[in-house]
Amino acid sequence: MIRVALFLALLLMASAISLVTVRFQTRELFVASERLKSQAHELDTEWRRLQLERAELARNARIDSLARTELHLIPVTPDRTIYLQESPPPADSSPGGRP
Amino acid sequence: MKRFGFHESPVLSGRPAFWRARLVVIVLMLGFVALAAKALTLQILSNEFLQRQGERRYERTLVLQASRGKIFDRGGSVVLASSVPARAIWAIPEDFHKASDPQVAQLAQLLGMKEADIRQRTRDEDKNFVYLQRQVALDVADKIRQLKIPGVQQLPETRRYYPEGEVMAHIVGFTNIEDRGIEGIELAFNDRLSGQPGSRRVIKDRLGRVVEDVQAVVPPVDGQNLQLSIDAGIQFDTYAALKAALEMHKARAGAAIVLDVRTGEILAMVNLPSYDPNDTAQRTGQALRNRVMTDTFEPGSIMKPFTAALALDSGAITTSTRFDTGNGRYRYQGSLISDVGHYGVLDVGGIIQHSSNVGMTMISELLSSQAMWTKFSELGFGRVPQTNFPGMASGRLRPWQRWRPIERATMAYGYGLSVSLIQVAHAYTAFARNGDMVSLSLLRREGQPTSVQVYSPRVAQLMRGMLEAAAGPDGARRAQVQGYRVAGKSGTARKIVNGQYSKTKYRGSFVGLAPVSDPRIVVAVSIDEPSTGGYYGGAVAAPVFSDIVSSTLRRLGVRPDAPVDSLVAVADQGGHTR
Repeated sequence: MIRVALFLALLLMASAISLVTVRFQTRELFVASERLKSQAHELDTEWRRLQLERAELARNARIDSLARTELHLIPVTPDRTIYLQESPPPADSSPGGRP
Repeated sequence: MKRFGFHESPVLSGRPAFWRARLVVIVLMLGFVALAAKALTLQILSNEFLQRQGERRYERTLVLQASRGKIFDRGGSVVLASSVPARAIWAIPEDFHKASDPQVAQLAQLLGMKEADIRQRTRDEDKNFVYLQRQVALDVADKIRQLKIPGVQQLPETRRYYPEGEVMAHIVGFTNIEDRGIEGIELAFNDRLSGQPGSRRVIKDRLGRVVEDVQAVVPPVDGQNLQLSIDAGIQFDTYAALKAALEMHKARAGAAIVLDVRTGEILAMVNLPSYDPNDTAQRTGQALRNRVMTDTFEPGSIMKPFTAALALDSGAITTSTRFDTGNGRYRYQGSLISDVGHYGVLDVGGIIQHSSNVGMTMISELLSSQAMWTKFSELGFGRVPQTNFPGMASGRLRPWQRWRPIERATMAYGYGLSVSLIQVAHAYTAFARNGDMVSLSLLRREGQPTSVQVYSPRVAQLMRGMLEAAAGPDGARRAQVQGYRVAGKSGTARKIVNGQYSKTKYRGSFVGLAPVSDPRIVVAVSIDEPSTGGYYGGAVAAPVFSDIVSSTLRRLGVRPDAPVDSLVAVADQGGHTR
C-alpha cells in the first residue's frame, strides 16, 4: 500500500515539474514567435521603403532628363525603326511603364 | 549532573497553571481566525478589485495597425502611392521647459522649424500634450531621440508617399494626416485602400515583453492594393508634351486625356497646373483642379462630327448632299452665323474639314431638336460619366423642349451646351470603334468592357474618313504623326467673360483617334487661354495631340499604318522595312 502511494506521489511530482517546464517553454517559444513577427513587420516596412526608393530612382521624369541631357538620346521615330514582317508585335494591351 | 526521566523532571513537579494552556490555545485560534478572515476578503470579497489591479499592471491591449493599400500603375511595377512608417513628435510643456537652449536649437534644426515657434507652442504649461510636428521621417526621429530632450516624446504614424509627384497628382490624389483619402483615387477608393486595424490583449512581463495572449487576436486587415489603368510611361509623355505646349503658348491651364479604345481604360490623364502631393503646402487653389473631369466648357467645333454623324445616320443627308455656304455669312433666325473663310459649295466631309459653321447650321435645319438632344444624351453629354471618381461634372445639356430655334443651330456646332473633356473623349470612342461607345475605367480591366451602340458601324467608318481629312494636309495638319494615320477635329471656343463671348480669351482643343486603319487610342487635348503663338485648336492643341499620339503608339508597340521613308537599311533577309 505504502509502495503504491509512494509511486503515485513520485508520478505526481514528475507531472507537476513537467507542467512547469512546459509552461516555461511555451512562454519562451511565444516570445520567440513574437520576435519573428516583429522582424517580419520590419522587413515588410523595409521592403516598402526600398520599393519607394526604386520608384523614386526610376521616375520617368528623372530617366527622361538623364537620357536627354547626359546620354544625349533622342526619341525613336518610325523612319529609324525596322519593323519585322514575320513577327508582328504581340497584341499586348498592357505594356505598363517599366521602371 | 543527575540524570532523570522526563516525567520525573522537577519542573513538572509543580502543578502547572491550567489557564496558561487555555490562553495559548485561544491566541492560536484567534491567529487562525484572522488568517481565515484575511483570506476571505482577498479571495472572495475584494477579488474583483484585485484582479482588475493585476490586469492593469500586466495586461495590455495592443492596437495592430493595418497599412493602407498601395496604388500601382497598369504594369503593376510602378508604385504611385505607398505608406511608410513615420513618427509624430510631441512634447509635455512642463517637462520641456527644462530643455536647454542648444537642445531646442538642435531640435528646431532637425524639424525645420524656428526655435521661437517651438517655444511658443509649448508655452502653455496646463496642456500636457502638444504636437511639435507630425509625420517626421524615421531617421530624423531617431536623431531626435538621441538628443534626449526632456519632455519630448514620439508616437508611431504612417506617412503616404507619392513617388511620381506632380505627374500623377490629379489621378492619385492624396490623403490627409489621419490617412484618409481627400482627393482622386485615394478618395474614390478609400474604403478598399484603408485597412481594418486589429487588436490583441496580452500579458507583458516586467521587461515589457509580450508573454501570453489573453484573448484571441483580432488580426489587422491590410488595405487592398489597387492597380490603375494608367500607364506611367504614357502619362509622363502626355504630361511633358502638355507642359511644353503650355510654356510655349503661355497658356493659363491645360488638360489632356488618353483612352484605350479597345478596353475603355484611361491610359493617361494630365491637368496643368499641377502640384506635388508630397508637399502639403502646395495642396491649395487652382492647381488641385482636375480639369479633365471637373471643368466643363463650351466645346465648339469638336462637337460638329456628332451632329454630322447623326444626320448621316438618320438619312437626313448623304455623303454627296451639297450645301452652299456661300461667302461664309448666313442669316438665320435673326442672327448672323459666320465662317472663318469662304468655302462655297461643300459636302458634309468638306463642312467637317473646313469646320464651317454655316454648313453645320444648314445640316441642323434638316434635324429635329429632339433627335439631337437624344443623340447627345446617348453620347453621355449632360450626365455624369459612370466612372468612380470624385467631383465628376455632368456638363449642361438643356432639355430640347426649351431650346430656341437658333439654339438648334448653335448646338450643332458646339455652342449652348457645356461638356467636360472626358465626356468628349468618351464620345469619340464611338467613332474609333464601330459606332459603339465603350465604358471607361480608371482601374485595370480584366475581361471585356461593355459598350453602347450609338451610331451604325458604316457611319462610324465614314466619320473616321472625314476626320482623317480634317486632320490632313488641308485641315489641322499639325496634328499629323509620322508613320501613322490620324483622324481628329480641332475646336476653338470663345470663353464667356461676364456673360458675353470674349474676343480675347479662347480655349483651343483637339480630339482625335489613331491609327485610322485600326484605332487603338483616343486623345483629347484642351488648352485654356493661350496667349502667344496663336489660339486656334489646330495651332495650339493639335501639335500636342501629335506628340502624345506618336509616343503613345510607340509605347504600345503599334505598327505604323502609313508609309514611311525608312532611314535605316536592312542587312538580313528576314527583315522588312515599311
